[in-house]
Amino acid sequence: MVATVETNAQRILDKVLSAGALGDLVIQEESSLSLKAHDGELEEHKVTSTRVYGVRVVKDDRAGIAYSESADPGALDSMVEQALVNATFSRVDPAESVATGDTTLVTHDAILCPDDPTTVEAKIDAALYLERELTARDKVRNVPYNGVQDATVERHVFATTGRTAHSRNRVCSAFAYALLSDGDKDALEGVQSHTRRFDDIDTAWIVDETYRRCVAMLDGEALPSRHYDILFDIEHQADLFAVFHDMFSAKTARDGINPLRDKVGERIAVDALTIRDAPLNADGLGYALFDDEGLPATTTTLVDDGTLRTLVHNSATATHFDVPNTRNANRSPRASLGVGLHQLEVAPGDANENALASGEYLEIVDLAGLHSGGNPVSGDFSFGAAGFLCRDGERIRPVRNITVAGNFYEMLNRIAAIGDTQHWNPERSALMARIRFADVAISG
Amino acid sequence: MLDTRVAQSTIDHAIALGADFAEVFVERNQVNNIATLSNQVQDIASGIDFGVGVRLVYGAKVLYGYTNRTDAEELRRIVAELAAKDRRDPAVSAQAFDFRTASDAHGAQRTLTQDSEVRDKVGYLFAADRAARAASNLISQTQGACGQREQAVEIFNSDGLHIRDTRHYIRARLQAVASNGSDQATGMQTDGGLLGWEIVETLDPKACGAEAARQALVNLSAKPCPSGRMPVVIGNGFGGVIFHEACGHLLETTSVAKKASVFHDKLGEMIANPVVNAVDDGTLVREWGSINIDDEGMPTERTQLIKDGKLVSFLADRVGAEQTGLPRTGSGRRQSYRFAPASRMRNTFIEPGTASFDDMIASIDRGVYASHMGGGSVQPGTGEFNFAVTEGYYVEDGKIRYPVKAATLISTGPDVLKQISMVGSDFALATGMCGSVSGMVPTTVGQATLKVDDILVGGNA
Repeated sequence: MVATVETNAQRILDKVLSAGALGDLVIQEESSLSLKAHDGELEEHKVTSTRVYGVRVVKDDRAGIAYSESADPGALDSMVEQALVNATFSRVDPAESVATGDTTLVTHDAILCPDDPTTVEAKIDAALYLERELTARDKVRNVPYNGVQDATVERHVFATTGRTAHSRNRVCSAFAYALLSDGDKDALEGVQSHTRRFDDIDTAWIVDETYRRCVAMLDGEALPSRHYDILFDIEHQADLFAVFHDMFSAKTARDGINPLRDKVGERIAVDALTIRDAPLNADGLGYALFDDEGLPATTTTLVDDGTLRTLVHNSATATHFDVPNTRNANRSPRASLGVGLHQLEVAPGDANENALASGEYLEIVDLAGLHSGGNPVSGDFSFGAAGFLCRDGERIRPVRNITVAGNFYEMLNRIAAIGDTQHWNPERSALMARIRFADVAISG
Repeated sequence: MLDTRVAQSTIDHAIALGADFAEVFVERNQVNNIATLSNQVQDIASGIDFGVGVRLVYGAKVLYGYTNRTDAEELRRIVAELAAKDRRDPAVSAQAFDFRTASDAHGAQRTLTQDSEVRDKVGYLFAADRAARAASNLISQTQGACGQREQAVEIFNSDGLHIRDTRHYIRARLQAVASNGSDQATGMQTDGGLLGWEIVETLDPKACGAEAARQALVNLSAKPCPSGRMPVVIGNGFGGVIFHEACGHLLETTSVAKKASVFHDKLGEMIANPVVNAVDDGTLVREWGSINIDDEGMPTERTQLIKDGKLVSFLADRVGAEQTGLPRTGSGRRQSYRFAPASRMRNTFIEPGTASFDDMIASIDRGVYASHMGGGSVQPGTGEFNFAVTEGYYVEDGKIRYPVKAATLISTGPDVLKQISMVGSDFALATGMCGSVSGMVPTTVGQATLKVDDILVGGNA
């Protein structure tokens, strides 16, 4: 008999049960095609196919995990045995368990994994087009970063309680970053686009928008150091929030490193700010039918009119804090049980575009050092930045070689206005109204 | 790890379809990661990654695929799919394999396949936790981590190469959190190398915990950092990230070959202050960024990059060497079988000089002493880079005044190299992880304390 994901899962969970333990299993399968172009030729053509099994066992109130990329029976048996050994070293934690229930959840391919007729040849043509069209533009020296990708990720969750869940997600993407030079001035800018169907990617827009951004930034210079009002573009506003996502994590709260751990029910931001986790918005690529314990995902209001309503929980943190589970379990096959946001949403405020962009402000369109310049524990950050000095909605001049610094948690109380329209970030993983932050330190 | 006949069949198939070069990269990566929270074990994760990467080169074009399967049918399928648009009559002949085992310069002893030594590692992290807590009652939490992995690689190519190597990585880290009720701050101490758990014989958990706590307490008392252009003294060890970001990435043929580096046409020219000598060395015994062979099977080497301020070499992998005409430097690296190799740094550092720390500080009217650095990033095309200060001090009238927080340094590679005016003698190396086109690879950065005369400091004051 040929082993399938389902028969392997059954084998693994039977072995867990026979050891007197409970457990759940995450299986992730990925396949992708990615293409990059250089000098009019395809520079990289990559096809991939992988599968990884990750088991979590709970025995005597101790949890252990292990994973394997090999699916042969011996490797899977060894994986379970290793997880059981690992559990013997873990702390005793009565809260850590396997979520109860025996529901079955399955996503719909028509929504999350649609077919389209685009051939591999057409995708290659798209990659070549991006590079060729940008290279042909005036003053473009080259297009060092470009490409298209078509990836499908299947995720299975199986639990010894009988619960199963299966999702299949397709994401197609394209990006181009061009290097523009004029004398001793240069600018490297670009855009990316992510969709469910490859034929929804607008490569002409990527070319035009990348070139427009390069030209706009070419004459950028620093500006005097002082405090400015700031408007991030949606991409970088979402990136900034992502650096500090752990502020909503019940796991970091439990670990004693979340500064908001004792703030539930308290005001943490201006009254106008409402933030939700909205996994069921299928317009976004962060859509999730279930969390990584296989529990049905649900919309959760995190901040309501400036007040922190809840942190996000998995079954263990919910038990620990004796609060409802928000079903935000997050676990890759290689990692232990954590929590994470599915799809962040900043609700619209009452400022129209004119009000949001009134007077002088700095529009930030690029941030550098996001992985190293922010500290979620303290809230302090300092990033390299670029953008435009603006007045009443008009860009006055481009600005480069500056830094933006502050404390994110304090900034939530210095919000001057929130826009009345929501926008998706390019990854379509966050839906946000734009926020105008007041009095932010800029160095130039 | 892979049947030689399967590898030969795969490469023969690729060459028959007209590839100029074909390579099969096999990897088995065993991992054991321990995480502690104060004096409790939070997680232990272990597992095995295994896969095969297939690379075909047609002229300047690289075709790459990977799979978890090892059967000839699957690998030939990947080859056929990759070559679908490029197949042509054979241009070269595949050579018969000449098997070798890489010469091991590092000699790991307490390896992961022998024993994961969980109890011993947990004991080390708990001892570090106790030391951190003993430093002050303001230390509210610690997070410890000890990761060990054993990466076995086997490489076949159409030039007849068949070589195996095994790399043993170990890294231990403690983060301390200091809290005064209203504010929190962190400090971190990390040690690691290309060896087994015998590294513990050179480590002192009390020193690890005390150092993490010291940094956290300093940062808890730090004031907002002044901003603007000013001189900065950058501490030794991980301070070397400035060279890694400002210059190292710009010397990789990954950027140079595309003319996407500001240094692509500067070979033989003065690009730095004459006090600057810089090296990328893969041969340092038991250092975190060292390798016996690179991920294309070439023995690694020491590469002088800058000599007395002059650019004397780039870092070249096979494809980069062919595109630029430069010699390969044993720098073709990749995170795993999931990535095609690219030219990457190994242990990269500025060689020590003779300046004294006191003289550097005394020469500053208004500036910053960045004693510990975090990570950073760079745009090779423009040379613009940034990196974070994780422990810093305001300097005025030649004296260190008070600690500062939330600072970033930004500049461009060409500018900052010319602004390095003094290099000290307190040389040290530090471990890091570097991300680029071929994934995350272990790299070491290093330098003695040095002074940059003028750089933009981004602060919050």
